Amino acid sequence: MRKAATDEVAPDEGGGLPGASGPPPGAKDTGPGGRDGRGRPVTGAAGTRSRIMRRREALAGLAFVAPMLLLFIVFRFGPTLGAAFLSVTDYRLSGEWTFIGAGNYTRLLGDDLFWESLGVTAVYTVLYVPMTVALALGTAVLLHRTLWMRGFFRGLFFLPYVTSIVLAAVIWKWIYEVQDGLLNASLGVLGIGPVDFLGSESLVLPSIAAASAWKGFGYSMLILLAGLQSIPREVTEAATIDGASGWQRFRWVTLPLLRPVLFFVLVIEAILGFQVFDAMYVMTAGGPVRASYSLVYFLYDSGFKFFDFGYASAVGLVLFLVVLVFSLIQRRLIGRDAD
Amino acid sequence: MKTGFKRATVPLALLTLTTLTAAGCGGDSGAESKKVTVWMYPVIMDPKANAAYWDGIEKGFEAKEKGVDLSIEQLPWENRDQKLATAFGSGKGPDVVLLGPDQIPQYQANGAIQPVDRAIGEARDAFRPNALEAMSQDGKVYAAPIYHTVTSTLYNKKLLEKAGITEPPSTWDAIRAAAPKLKQAGASTLDYSASNEASLNMSFYPLLWQAGGKVFDDGGRKAAFNGPEGVEALTFLVDLYKSGAVPKSAMNNANLFTDQALGKQQVAMGYTNTPADAVLAEKAWGKGNVIVGPALTGPGKQVCFGMPGGLGINARSKNVAGAEKFIAYMVQPAQIESMGKAGGFFSPRTDVTVPNDSTYAKEYQEALNHTYPGEPNPAARQLMALISPEIQAALTGKKSPKAALDAAAAEADELLARQR
Repeated sequence: MRKAATDEVAPDEGGGLPGASGPPPGAKDTGPGGRDGRGRPVTGAAGTRSRIMRRREALAGLAFVAPMLLLFIVFRFGPTLGAAFLSVTDYRLSGEWTFIGAGNYTRLLGDDLFWESLGVTAVYTVLYVPMTVALALGTAVLLHRTLWMRGFFRGLFFLPYVTSIVLAAVIWKWIYEVQDGLLNASLGVLGIGPVDFLGSESLVLPSIAAASAWKGFGYSMLILLAGLQSIPREVTEAATIDGASGWQRFRWVTLPLLRPVLFFVLVIEAILGFQVFDAMYVMTAGGPVRASYSLVYFLYDSGFKFFDFGYASAVGLVLFLVVLVFSLIQRRLIGRDAD
Repeated sequence: MKTGFKRATVPLALLTLTTLTAAGCGGDSGAESKKVTVWMYPVIMDPKANAAYWDGIEKGFEAKEKGVDLSIEQLPWENRDQKLATAFGSGKGPDVVLLGPDQIPQYQANGAIQPVDRAIGEARDAFRPNALEAMSQDGKVYAAPIYHTVTSTLYNKKLLEKAGITEPPSTWDAIRAAAPKLKQAGASTLDYSASNEASLNMSFYPLLWQAGGKVFDDGGRKAAFNGPEGVEALTFLVDLYKSGAVPKSAMNNANLFTDQALGKQQVAMGYTNTPADAVLAEKAWGKGNVIVGPALTGPGKQVCFGMPGGLGINARSKNVAGAEKFIAYMVQPAQIESMGKAGGFFSPRTDVTVPNDSTYAKEYQEALNHTYPGEPNPAARQLMALISPEIQAALTGKKSPKAALDAAAAEADELLARQR
């Protein structure tokens, strides 16, 4: 049952995220007595033939993925290796470089700005992930219960996700404006404020996180909705017969069954949280007083303001490690669940 | 699956390699010495007008200088230095390139550009001394100015009148005096840009210069902006911000007019506004409500930001003679005039006035005499990323103006010491 849930998740994810999709379809063992790729029964006597077939199949498969694989190597794998190389050099704009070993990394560990931006990123992620997942879960449950115009509402909730982040950030900047902003004007009616949402060091991160959550919850919502729909009706029905209330059914039946999907969503959103940049770039430029200066912003500044490409690459690799750790945790937990 | 992948690895790797090499080899091989390539940027904002203008220049020049094949390539402003530095570094740069004063020190220090004194020739004395100085290093000119930008004060007449102010405030003292009156009238006084993405040339530096201060010390190896003048400038700003005379929205403003307090008539004046801002203001406030004033005067001096744009020569150019001919052509009065007219610029030459039918041409022409392009230093741009957050810290009250500038200066000295 749980497996069905994860499988339903897989085709939706589209981003090539490692570990989420479970075993690839081609990897299933077609031993004696099984079926080959064309659905014909394979007999034990045809062992050699089947091996040749399998090899051919593998080559055909490779041919199909070759364009993507090539793109991946040229535009992902190559640059990643390049960045790893850059991170151990002092690379100048003119193309000259000197090997400095772990120099960039030791400088990074002693750089207050790095720790500050890492802290900002962590706080942001802690704010952003619960907001997004709560919003996604809430809307998913509502959509699951509603039958009336479900498609319309699903589309409506998903709309922010396909909006450009820059556009969304500009609109939220207007909403948060101190003088005559939508939010402050509304608060003014209640006799509160004006509140300087983006100009206050303590409010800036929650404000940006809320805007990002609004922008990003649609994706997780769809995944959670798929998860909810894969929970068999009998289970909840049985709980109802046993006298469980609506909340009890949700808390003790739906939520545990939704756990793997929920966990997948949490990890994906955490990874996105750690990569935050554009919302801050547009809304606050990292301010005030670097209160919204994220790790990727630090990377951007190191590379494109200070032309310190080696140093920026080192930051990039640290970010890569952070995201990798999250992915591995996710892979372990989801993988274990699917077995 | 595994074997298949292994077998495919080598051809894939080879294919990748060939793709990369092909990309690496692609590039112009224009070695013919008759050819002069120029890298130009969208100096004229309307793309069509820009293309038409440089097309005309190409034809005009080639008709005059028979035998020189001029090719003006249009590049975007984005990542300008990255592209240029990479091209210079690999010996593939253009013969002539458009340069701003803040680019010259770093390229000169790296030996990437050569002096243009010969190309300027006797026109030398005709240039505004400030413009020529901005383009010079060690007594040699590295870019021949072909246009000049200017900024000045911009006032909202309606708001001033509402507060009963008849004389637009043109000094720090006048601004301080106007603030309570404007507050009474429900408006802020002075707009400012404190965003980290805002150039300090259009925000804090003019105030620093007006106070009589400098960004760098004379050798350019130490920060000087935290001296008494800098503290005075920042205190002036912080006091205005705390009293609401500088609007709260200034914190996230990045030198924009539209959609900011000034454009939305929430604040009465700006002090680093371009002629383009004045045009926008006419549209937003109505023609009769726009006043362009003189450059703002501080306790030290009257100064505003404005800088020349000029043409420099690649140190590794294969056609220096052709490049010099082109530059000599571009600094002639006829071209300075047509360039200024097409781009809405001002003349870098004292003997040429760009005909300008804008309502405020006279005011900007006057402000031109007070422009300062900033102190040339290879780290000038990078320094801004360090100073901006500290100015924000002073504005929010987290640090005193002195403490904020001292903190920025400590970081700046570290940056300057790291310069190669």
